[in-house]
Amino acid sequence: MSDHEQRTPVELKGLAANDPHLLPASKNPKQAERVIAVCFVLGIIFVAAFGACFWINAQPWKIGATLGAGLSFLGIGLVAWGKYLMPQGPFVEERHQLANSQDDRDAFAAAIVQRGGDVVKRRKLLGGLLGAGLGIFGVVAMFPLLRSLGPLPKKTLDSTDWRKGTYAVDITGRRVRVGDLAVGSIVTVYPEGTQNTDRGQAVDQTVLIRISNENFTTLKGRESWGPQGYLAYSKLCTHLGCPVGLYEQELQVLVCPCHQSTFNVLNGAVPEFGPAPRPLPQLPLYIDASGYIRAQADYDQPVGPGFWERS
Amino acid sequence: MKTSLLQRSLILPTLALISLGPIVLFVGSANASGHTQYQTTRKNAGTPYSSIVKKNKSGVVISYGNSAIMYNAPPSTLDTLGEALFMQNCASCHGAKANGVPANGVSAAYPDLVGLGPATIDFWIDSGRMPAADPRVVEAPRRFARLTPDQALAVAAWVNSLDPSLPDIPTPSLKNANVADGAALFALNCAACHTIEGDGDALANSTFAPSLRDIPAFQVVEAIRTGPGDMPRFTGNLSDYQVRDIVDYVTTEIQHPQNPGGLGLGGLGPVAEGFVALLLGVGVLALVGFWVGERE
Amino acid sequence: MSVDVPNTRRAKAQAKGPFGSVGKILDELDDRLGVAKGGRTFMDKIFPDHWSFMLGEIALYSFVILLVTGVFLTLYYIPSSDLVTYHGSYLPLNGMRVSEAYASTVNLSFAVRGGLLMRQMHHWSCDIFLGAIVVHMARVFFTGAFRKPRELNWSIGLTLLTLAIINGFLGYSLPDDLISGTGIRIAYSIVLAMPVVGTYIAFWLFGGNFPGTAIIPRFFILHVLIIPGIMLALVGAHLYLLVRQKHTQFPGKGRTEKNVVGSPMFPVFMAKTTGFLFIVGGITALLSAFAQINPIWQFGPYEASRISYAVQPDLYMAFLDGALRIWPSWTFHSFGHTIPFEVFVPAIVFPGLIFGLCYMWPTIERIFTKDNELHNLLDRPINRPRRTAAGVSVGMLIAVLFFASSTDVIANFFHVSLEEVLIAMRVLVVITPLISYPVTYKICKELQASKGSGKRKVANTVTRSEEGEYVATPAPVYVDDMHSDLAAMEVPRFIAPSPDEVEEGSGTRVVER
Repeated sequence: MSDHEQRTPVELKGLAANDPHLLPASKNPKQAERVIAVCFVLGIIFVAAFGACFWINAQPWKIGATLGAGLSFLGIGLVAWGKYLMPQGPFVEERHQLANSQDDRDAFAAAIVQRGGDVVKRRKLLGGLLGAGLGIFGVVAMFPLLRSLGPLPKKTLDSTDWRKGTYAVDITGRRVRVGDLAVGSIVTVYPEGTQNTDRGQAVDQTVLIRISNENFTTLKGRESWGPQGYLAYSKLCTHLGCPVGLYEQELQVLVCPCHQSTFNVLNGAVPEFGPAPRPLPQLPLYIDASGYIRAQADYDQPVGPGFWERS
Repeated sequence: MKTSLLQRSLILPTLALISLGPIVLFVGSANASGHTQYQTTRKNAGTPYSSIVKKNKSGVVISYGNSAIMYNAPPSTLDTLGEALFMQNCASCHGAKANGVPANGVSAAYPDLVGLGPATIDFWIDSGRMPAADPRVVEAPRRFARLTPDQALAVAAWVNSLDPSLPDIPTPSLKNANVADGAALFALNCAACHTIEGDGDALANSTFAPSLRDIPAFQVVEAIRTGPGDMPRFTGNLSDYQVRDIVDYVTTEIQHPQNPGGLGLGGLGPVAEGFVALLLGVGVLALVGFWVGERE
Repeated sequence: MSVDVPNTRRAKAQAKGPFGSVGKILDELDDRLGVAKGGRTFMDKIFPDHWSFMLGEIALYSFVILLVTGVFLTLYYIPSSDLVTYHGSYLPLNGMRVSEAYASTVNLSFAVRGGLLMRQMHHWSCDIFLGAIVVHMARVFFTGAFRKPRELNWSIGLTLLTLAIINGFLGYSLPDDLISGTGIRIAYSIVLAMPVVGTYIAFWLFGGNFPGTAIIPRFFILHVLIIPGIMLALVGAHLYLLVRQKHTQFPGKGRTEKNVVGSPMFPVFMAKTTGFLFIVGGITALLSAFAQINPIWQFGPYEASRISYAVQPDLYMAFLDGALRIWPSWTFHSFGHTIPFEVFVPAIVFPGLIFGLCYMWPTIERIFTKDNELHNLLDRPINRPRRTAAGVSVGMLIAVLFFASSTDVIANFFHVSLEEVLIAMRVLVVITPLISYPVTYKICKELQASKGSGKRKVANTVTRSEEGEYVATPAPVYVDDMHSDLAAMEVPRFIAPSPDEVEEGSGTRVVER
């Protein structure tokens, strides 16, 4: 299209190179240039060293230090070039008004309102039907999407795998016997068979504590729940479901490491401090003829954090 | 808009009133009432599993254990020295018969030491917690030991001679330890209080879980087996082999973490990381931006 | 056409026209795309270069680093919660049954060349990204840059902040280590706490009861594709609006509502901003080289019944955790239903209110000031005492909550009781915002009253002449003040070749004051 030979940029408005707008900010451009050159040389050296470190698989800090130093020196040099040696202006630019003239706006609005109005008003039935169809589709499209994401909650949050007679086992699957814990000891137990499952870990986890008092009663109605000083509470915090694994044997409290809710072991794990709203549910225990610790029944209430359906 | 003197003088009282309501509600619901239900009966520590048992001439067990941990009774020859040291350093609180002094109805104020086992006595003295600098503190902090290890052993020997009991002084052997098992057991049993990096943290009612950074191996065993202070005691639920694995993990990875990624930031986790990111990251970059840009 | 084939070097150069081969390429490009006019306008585009406008660039370039390092990490990370036995170079984990996600994260840290560095850079730049967004947002807020016509860009920025927080949390969760797993557990419980729909949303979002096997793969696709994709589009829109509406500027000599004064896009701004990109990358790399972040090999794999004390979320979630810690245990339990207010209020209602307030602020301010004008000149914060005080107040609230997320660490550090720290935080969270409003307001008013504040003073040297007359000579101006008194001009279309080299020292523009 163009004949390059014929063209010279004569019409371009010129500005002399010694115009104050084009002067560098540096008092001493030669010196600035030397400093910037040193930055770039250091940058080149460090970037090359980064390549070498990466190649020989050096320790991470060496790779990082060379990369960081290389990038930083290159960056500092480039910024300094722009800041001290390039024309400093100040330059100015007009801000063009973004808003259009009222005529243009009217024309735009008219196109939408009048044309749209014409079409829809004349065929109200069609418009309504189309709208209804799209609306229903939108709602219906949500269902398969949502329903395929996961199961319905149903009653799964209400119960655990503890049953009448379930053996309490530790993480290795060993059944806990009555002599295993000394006074002031704690162990995390699971219903036998669930210790390696997600559900056993996340829902059924229970802390078993031995206190000095024989047949201690935490609350009225729980007279038989703690045989020989063995007390079992759900390990799920009633605040947000963190494992309440922090047991202080002199204070006789269980503390949740997440938000420091403190539960009194001797008092039915009533929260004494912190944001937890409910006591930890207590698991009723009995000791069978062979000395194994077993559950009398499931927890009498849902374990863990609160939710709407929790009655 | 000019505010009159009256209006201005009303601002602060109004603010105070507005703030008072929530504060009363907030603080009131904290319910941090003093908790003084001590249930300390430390006696009858469970017998550790032992495959090696050594007896002296008169048939008394002097050491027992297995290839992981050997428990040695303090030699009875130290009894006399121990008694003298006890009278000098301990008797003022724990009584001349080491059976404690109930003070103000709080039974555990000066606990009964008889029958606790030599490991308990040795741990408290050798970790510098006893003799306590301030006898009123519930939880004596770890300090430089005032008595030498031999003196601690002597006191343990004398107290034990009053009512011989277990556990004895442990000597772990870390030769065949499995550090991976130790890591898993540490996460399950210890990290809830001491944190996963072993730095310790504040617990309920002004108690603290101490840092594990500079604790000798045998003291780790003593603490696990005797449950000092608020720490639960681990006896039958951890075998000597498991305790040895935990000790190995604590004395290697906890006390000398490899930190391949650089400075460990004191093990404070995201708190320290957040401050570093804000101050060193955003802060330094903002300063660089201050240089890059103009200031007018 | 003639067969006049150029055969000398000079002729060849001439044949390419006055701008050489670059000019030729640009000509060809313009033939097809018509970019010449717009391109020139873009090259001449003026950017005001006040230092505070660099804060947003920190965020932008951290985002670039996140994308680059993130792509590296996806090559080695396996989003699966299937259990495998770890056999790798980190011995304390050897033989442990861990999830594939955890094993692959440990492996990419130790077995992949540069992997640990990339992971640490990804994490550090995430923290810097979030911090820089907040600082940038504070600058925009306190200077009134969100006012008409830029309300939309304010909303886009807020949405970016929200998405960045969510994506940060998702990414933090992916290694499936002990601490992040605890974080997912808490997030699950928070969703569960929504009245009526909570359990359904939790089951659908996380694919069933906690923990299940769907969480890691879902978090992964959200973290690496869906949310970054939306963020990339929004960053594009954010920058497009910035260019279209042109940058705001502080009032000053020659600056009006109708112009922009500063440096041209090419070469000055380009050099500075590219250099700044390198520096952001460099500082992040240095931080990652010397400071360890998130050592997941120490934390071990997540198991629902394991827990570590001193667990805090990353800094951008800290205010939520702080709110959860200090909010009292008020709950609702009646009519066969439970509303866990102890979770719902601090974790859902409260952030909703704060973000809602931020989204609504331009509207709120317009209602109060009845100001419907276009604004391109920025406010000095002291000149808008009510806005400044409100911003400081909300900022202090967030800051207190930030500290409240580490009550246990504070208690341990200063050796005070946990309960006392918590009560102190509960008091501070109410008191601090209430006090900081009037205090800030008063400070702004006082500063307004003191004339000449904020201006740099120039020293005078007083000399006594032989006649005994005292003469005051102003000291030389600061380098940075030099061109502030120079009248701004349009970017020159062409620089005339000057016969003389620019002389040493001629760069100094001495300005009479």
